[in-house]
Amino acid sequence: MTVLRQFARNRGALIGLAILLAVVAVAMVGPWWFPQSPWRMAGRPFLAPGANERFLLGTDALGRDVAAGLVHGARVSLGIGLVSTAAALLIGVPLGALAGYAGGIVDDLAMRFTELFQTIPSFALAIVLVAILQPSIGSIVLAIALVSWPPVTRLVRGEVLSLRSRDYVLAARTLGQSTTRIVFGVVLPNTVAPIIVMASLMVASAILLESALSFLGLGDPNLMTWGYMIGAGRTRLIDAWWISFFPGLAIFLTVLALNLVGEGLSDALNPRLARER
Amino acid sequence: MSRSWIRLLSAATLLAAVPLPALAQAPKSGGALQVVVTPEPPMLMQGLNQNGPTNMIAGNIYESLLRYDEKLQPMPSLAKSWEISPDQTVYTFRLQEGVTWHDGKPFTADDVVFTLDKFLREVHPRWRPIVNGQVKAIEKVDDLTVRVSLKQPFGPFLLSQEVASAPIVPKHVYEGTDYRANPANNTPVGTGPMKFGEWRKGSFVKLVRNESYWDKGRPYLDEMYFQFIPDAAARATAYETGRVDVLTGGAVEIFDVARLAKLPNTCVTTKGWEMFAPHAWVSVNLKNGILGNKQFRKAMMHAIDREFGRDVVWSGYGRIPTGPISSKTKFYSNDGVPTYSYDPKKAKELVAASGYKGEVIRFLGLPYGETWSRWAEAIKQNFEEVGIKMEIVSTDVPGWTQRTSNFDFDLTFNFLYQLGDPATGVARSYVSSNIVKGNPFGNVGQYSNPEVDRLFAEAAVAPAEKRQELYTRVQQILADDLPVLWLLELDFPTVHRCNVKDLVSTAVGINDSAKNVWKQ
Amino acid sequence: MLRFLLSRFAKGIVVLLAIAILNFFLIRLAPGDPAVVMAGEAGAADQAFLDQLRTRFGLDRPLVEQLGIYLKGIASLDLGFSYRQNRSVASLIGERLPATLLLTGTAFAISLGLGILFGALAAARAGRPADTLITLGALVFYATPLFWIALMSQIVFSLKLGLVPNVGYETIGAGHTGFARALDIGHHLILPALTLGLFFTALYARMMRASMLETAGADYVRTARAKGVGPAAVTRRHVARNAVLPVVTLAGLQAGQIVGGAVLTETVFAWPGIGRLMFEALAQRDYQVLLGVFFVSSAMVVGFNILTDLVYRLVDPRIEAGA
Repeated sequence: MTVLRQFARNRGALIGLAILLAVVAVAMVGPWWFPQSPWRMAGRPFLAPGANERFLLGTDALGRDVAAGLVHGARVSLGIGLVSTAAALLIGVPLGALAGYAGGIVDDLAMRFTELFQTIPSFALAIVLVAILQPSIGSIVLAIALVSWPPVTRLVRGEVLSLRSRDYVLAARTLGQSTTRIVFGVVLPNTVAPIIVMASLMVASAILLESALSFLGLGDPNLMTWGYMIGAGRTRLIDAWWISFFPGLAIFLTVLALNLVGEGLSDALNPRLARER
Repeated sequence: MSRSWIRLLSAATLLAAVPLPALAQAPKSGGALQVVVTPEPPMLMQGLNQNGPTNMIAGNIYESLLRYDEKLQPMPSLAKSWEISPDQTVYTFRLQEGVTWHDGKPFTADDVVFTLDKFLREVHPRWRPIVNGQVKAIEKVDDLTVRVSLKQPFGPFLLSQEVASAPIVPKHVYEGTDYRANPANNTPVGTGPMKFGEWRKGSFVKLVRNESYWDKGRPYLDEMYFQFIPDAAARATAYETGRVDVLTGGAVEIFDVARLAKLPNTCVTTKGWEMFAPHAWVSVNLKNGILGNKQFRKAMMHAIDREFGRDVVWSGYGRIPTGPISSKTKFYSNDGVPTYSYDPKKAKELVAASGYKGEVIRFLGLPYGETWSRWAEAIKQNFEEVGIKMEIVSTDVPGWTQRTSNFDFDLTFNFLYQLGDPATGVARSYVSSNIVKGNPFGNVGQYSNPEVDRLFAEAAVAPAEKRQELYTRVQQILADDLPVLWLLELDFPTVHRCNVKDLVSTAVGINDSAKNVWKQ
Repeated sequence: MLRFLLSRFAKGIVVLLAIAILNFFLIRLAPGDPAVVMAGEAGAADQAFLDQLRTRFGLDRPLVEQLGIYLKGIASLDLGFSYRQNRSVASLIGERLPATLLLTGTAFAISLGLGILFGALAAARAGRPADTLITLGALVFYATPLFWIALMSQIVFSLKLGLVPNVGYETIGAGHTGFARALDIGHHLILPALTLGLFFTALYARMMRASMLETAGADYVRTARAKGVGPAAVTRRHVARNAVLPVVTLAGLQAGQIVGGAVLTETVFAWPGIGRLMFEALAQRDYQVLLGVFFVSSAMVVGFNILTDLVYRLVDPRIEAGA
């Protein structure tokens, strides 16, 4: 309860939450709002925003509705952010827990392996992965997940390391509970808070990463994402700014919101820090 | 009307009839030309690499026997003159006198024989089939005369001596060496008007004036810089901010051309591509299910809005083709050739009649920039409207080349150079002998029609008068069979400052040497 | 200290070797090879032509043998040979490395310097307008895609205002030498370095602020305060100094990200560095060059990490206290 109250006291976090909820709402109702495919060449190309009331945000190079693209893109961009973060957690959390709980040589090996992935410049690795596997939603999610799990492992390992010698863990061990049960039943639940904070920031950077890949022409050509829209419109920035401006704004707001929420959560979960404000 | 009036009038007509060159200014010497080429070439040894940018730069360093005007008529280059025997099998080239290589050694018939018979025969994928299939002997007659004897008349032979197809290389540098490992490849030695100066990797190549060029008085430019800017939008702004003078065809997205054309002191030309006449189409893998069905192919052809493609996607540049041969290439004909209009209703009927059951068709995208991506998306929508399900598969250049040359696609874009003559540039995409894996520019759709094979084979070696008849017949058959879906005769406009004069004066444009180019 | 250094180096070398092997196999999974690419560029090909190239490139040998040759080369600090460009990989990278070091070094220095400065300022004025402004600014740059900032700055500062060149490393054909050339390069460096640095400035500013606030709550700071040390002196002597440590450490870990970010920046600004070399080598399947760039950039990151470890050990207050 104190956490919630603490969060609610943070104005930035509330603004972030409001933006985030709005984006999620748009993503949910999108298909009802714009039932037509966002790829449909619905009007004259390069209509400026407001030039035609049917296209509030204008049309793109092929006469596609920018507003429809934005709304449909919200689903895909958020989806890519969420799924790739989930995938990164799926790699990072068990590995970190294993390393932290087992210690010794297992810990050492796991950390060397993590270091390996942290040493390769991550964006370069993502580019190579997508190019190798050929751009598609699957390869993009995989690439993002593969370059973003190492910090999770480090975080979880650190938490587990400090939790492992706590009384209730020792108690569980003396009671003869299996290691798996201790890790998943006792230790990990206590690391959930920092993981949630980190995950919210990871979703944000995943959206940024996807847009950067799209910008380099490594997006999924069948999916309308904000990154795709910026990439497709960026060469027209000078004479048709609206094609890539609105998706750029959408990315900015979403990433900003996720960061604000993440920070709010972090402060709320770490009360000592918040008191200093 | 009085007599004086008449005299005055005729004087006026006379004045108007004064040929333009007399009015044009005499070329001025000096200055540097800044050109954008993209991407950065791997090397400048034109015999070993025929990448587009390699050709644009190295075309100033190397020369071939002939050049070609915009009507594809041969002009002298390293060959001063040439004779063709009455039976069209023996070509005798007389070489320019007083030509030296950039390292000072004299150029002779030995260099030509070495290049055509040894060097290019081993390393040049376009010259090799010609020299192995059509040529009987290449001999030196004297120091300034070379004789090439053919096995039979071969129509396009005279067109094969363009600089990218047959650049003459120095025998004294390459004979007896491992051509590809020769250190001289990094400091190319040619006979051309510009010499290699410096290559700052990732930034630019600098060429400098060849002071002892054989064509006295030329070149006019002191220096040429070829800049490498990897981002298309940044290339456009580089022109706008005055960093470069020339944007070569394809250097900026086609829709940027219209915007740049409005800038002051900016000229746009679509000339200089006559030799290549790039012809764009959708390759169809005829072995993949429904795609082998001619009715279905006709449905696709009626479904695609080719006018939209030209007007919107290609910003109005290019012409819609009638068949396999570009209207810029020899022996083009639309006589009795079936045409396909944009007609979704008819397309729907044909789809229904073809027995299509809604299977998803994979379209392999061509990774050559935004324009091609937009085009694929537009076609996907066209297909959706008539009930054809299509999915775009994205890849990079090596991926595209690999998959296309291994027939691993349903549909894909392709655009091929016609090289002036159907025998070299067109037949290769349709004859069954060219259904071989490993070549993305072969008959990748695996179309096979004995009648077409026979017509192409006969036409290549027929006397000039007979060829038109054979090629007209081929165009009629192919346009009905639709082995591929022809979309557009592409234009790649060159954008340049108007004070850069005589930039494009031959059939290969920027790919030719800049010996006539001058800055006002 | 020497033992620490040696063990760090040994670990670094193991990591680099593992990366080399991983990359070697990864890259071979991609469709297409250099021979196919060159055939595509020539506009024609046949099997004999492809075979000729593959034999020359050594691609016809078993993969494991190729790996052996590659690792043997690395052991003797030979990064291999690019047949495509007819040059040794070391020389290709060597030509490009200075440009990347200049760009990433400048961006790193700018972001660390400005980040720490702004972060400290914000923390010192926590809750007041200056803090809000800095925090907001940091958030904005943190949330805006790097390439977006790159495009915008090109249009605004180069095209519209004409203040700085939009692309390139120097004015081509100007023939500057010596100081004039350095100045010219500096002029070209402004836009890419700022663009690349902005995101990290925002990141470090946020970290610095958080770290300052955390340190301000630490026991020894309370003690200092209790002892009657003035607030400005506390901030300067105790808080700022200790708060910088985690920021520097994390900055060291982030070195890989800056090098990765250079790929985009160098592409948009036509900066002739190894990030672009990597992207182009990938697009041409120039395996040896690609592997070489990965190896060198990973080595850079390992070097950065060792350096920050070293700095940390040298100035860590706990070690100091023990001494």
